[in-house]
Amino acid sequence: MKDIRADFPMLEKHPEVIYFDNACTALKPQTVIDAIVEYYTEFGACGGRSSHQLARKTNNKLDESREKVAKFVNADPEGLVWTRNATESLNLVAGSFDFSQRRKVVTTVMEHHSVLLPFMKLRDQGKIDLEILPCDENAEVRMEKWENAIDKECALIVTNSWNNTTGGGNNIPELSKLGHDSGALICVDGAQGVPHHKTDLKGENIDFLCFSGHKMLGPTGIGALAMRKEDIPKLRPFIVGGGTVMKTSIEQAESATDQTRFEAGIQHYAGIIGFAAACDYLSDYGMDNVESLEKEFADALVSTIKDAGATVYGKADRAGAVCSFNFKGGKPHDVALMLDKENIALRSGFFCAQPGLEAIGASGGAVRASAYIYNTLDEVKKFSEALEKVSVLYG
Amino acid sequence: MVLCIIAFIVFAVMSIFSAKYRPLAKEGFRCVFRTIMLKPCDTGMDERIKAEVVSKVLKVSPVLARFTNKHFTMISWVFVILTLGSMVYSAFGLYNFYYYGNCDGPGSVNACIINDLTGDYGRFSEPTDLVAPTNFDGIVAGNPDANITIVEFGCFTCPYTKKAESTMDELLEKYDDSVYYVFKPFPLPNHQNSYEAAVAVLCAEKQGKHFELQDEIFEQQEVCTSDGTIAIKQLAEDAGLDMNAFNQCYDNNETVEQLEEYIQQGKDSHIYATPTFFVNGNAIVGPKPIEDFEKIIDGEMG
Repeated sequence: MKDIRADFPMLEKHPEVIYFDNACTALKPQTVIDAIVEYYTEFGACGGRSSHQLARKTNNKLDESREKVAKFVNADPEGLVWTRNATESLNLVAGSFDFSQRRKVVTTVMEHHSVLLPFMKLRDQGKIDLEILPCDENAEVRMEKWENAIDKECALIVTNSWNNTTGGGNNIPELSKLGHDSGALICVDGAQGVPHHKTDLKGENIDFLCFSGHKMLGPTGIGALAMRKEDIPKLRPFIVGGGTVMKTSIEQAESATDQTRFEAGIQHYAGIIGFAAACDYLSDYGMDNVESLEKEFADALVSTIKDAGATVYGKADRAGAVCSFNFKGGKPHDVALMLDKENIALRSGFFCAQPGLEAIGASGGAVRASAYIYNTLDEVKKFSEALEKVSVLYG
Repeated sequence: MVLCIIAFIVFAVMSIFSAKYRPLAKEGFRCVFRTIMLKPCDTGMDERIKAEVVSKVLKVSPVLARFTNKHFTMISWVFVILTLGSMVYSAFGLYNFYYYGNCDGPGSVNACIINDLTGDYGRFSEPTDLVAPTNFDGIVAGNPDANITIVEFGCFTCPYTKKAESTMDELLEKYDDSVYYVFKPFPLPNHQNSYEAAVAVLCAEKQGKHFELQDEIFEQQEVCTSDGTIAIKQLAEDAGLDMNAFNQCYDNNETVEQLEEYIQQGKDSHIYATPTFFVNGNAIVGPKPIEDFEKIIDGEMG
């Protein structure tokens, strides 16, 4: 596999830092940065509104970007909606989905707050019935739990394809089949899954796929909701304003019929173009390569952390290089700060997944190490040395 | 939480001089404020400080680092108490420096400082400002023809004048006829009854028993300070003075004029603390070790 570290300016600028906080956000390659700069320096106009040459150039670039990002997850460009991030995409689904016929939503305790909170809000408003499935000791939700919960009352399944605490994932094709057989739709939180494994909206029969640009080498502030174009009418406009209507009078407004009905106001054009550049980068690298490297890192991280005497949450055999752990007697923030002193950048706390962490026994939070394509096994070795050093403080 | 108190104090002081410390001072303040409001500190500053400290200790000793990590809160409290104690002590020192020109204040281990606010002697902060007296009147001992003259301005109710007395005794014994010793009473206004004590000793001098009364006063310095004339007269009696003559002298302020002369001489010499010595004109302020005197005397004697 080619050495890509030189593509990431942050790694050049901070060669001493071992960046293992990729589940929070990924570093950006130069091509993404260049794409963003190109928008601001080369055309920088509005998209979908004006007709001058700079606007046309912007339009072309935006259309091209929509196609690239949609293609990355095998979705129709006409079914791809720009959002700020996966959280906004999930809120868009929660706020726009029609629960008048069926009002049951099934999710799990192992979800990110961005999944749980929008639907808990609807539950608290009395608009839906929410069933939150428990997990087992390996942080996994057993299939029989899903089977019992998904019935003819179920309107929507909402879950992650890959969770952000244990690197484990759900079997999305199986869940979508289960849901569709009962007449329910499935909304997938792909914030962690899309960057780390090949995601196929059509192949996996996903109805709504929510993901963020910044976790997959793209810029912050841009995300997407992907769906089949024929599903667009199933969601009501959520935020309305400029660009979301066909025509408007002071008596009434006629919503756009395509995905722009969800894209109110001027969009984050630079972010969209940068997002597409990130998809290009990952496509060039190859998602098969990403997956195999992930597995390699996952195994190395799990064994490294266990060897240092820490508790690793979730199954040892995992596909995702995301490991949450704790030292006995060590507060997660203290451990992370101590490792920061060794130039290891980690996340500590609840990772916006407090119910999940509490369910697997990390009621005080945990420390999380997560790797991505620019990390190396040599860095895992240095991480191991730092862990050994810090581990003497605990136990 | 605990360390934020120290951090706030330290960064608040540092932020006066450099803007880069102001966000840290602000963080510290927020943490302290939340602590006072019985809310947990949410800035993470205490955790960062802990990591900084423990990681430094870890480089030196893993065992010590483990101990520090485990008992960090307790250690923090110790540091907080020490810091606050040291701040109070420093503030007291600054107060003393402002009013007395010496961080130790009137109870200085070096000398009894004249309180410029309550006295009218003037205050000079450097020994180099002192001017050696040319008049050798006073309560004297030793050989008037000796090559070495030690002039002392002292206050009978100053504990440091008292402390220096044994040094003078040793010097007179060691150098015998080679030293002429002149004591000029210089009562400090901030020492209660110091003036009365000086008047009394000068009255005793008339009976040739000044050293006896001086010894009694030094011995009973606290009583003399608190009880004044009553104590002084009792001490005079204890010293074996003719009390009729003493009372006549003391009650009629017969030695006041003489005392004022000594005080004026002290002012002329810019005395700012007692005891102050002039060894052949070389100034020594405070009850310095005997070696300091010997060094000058031996040097003068060649």
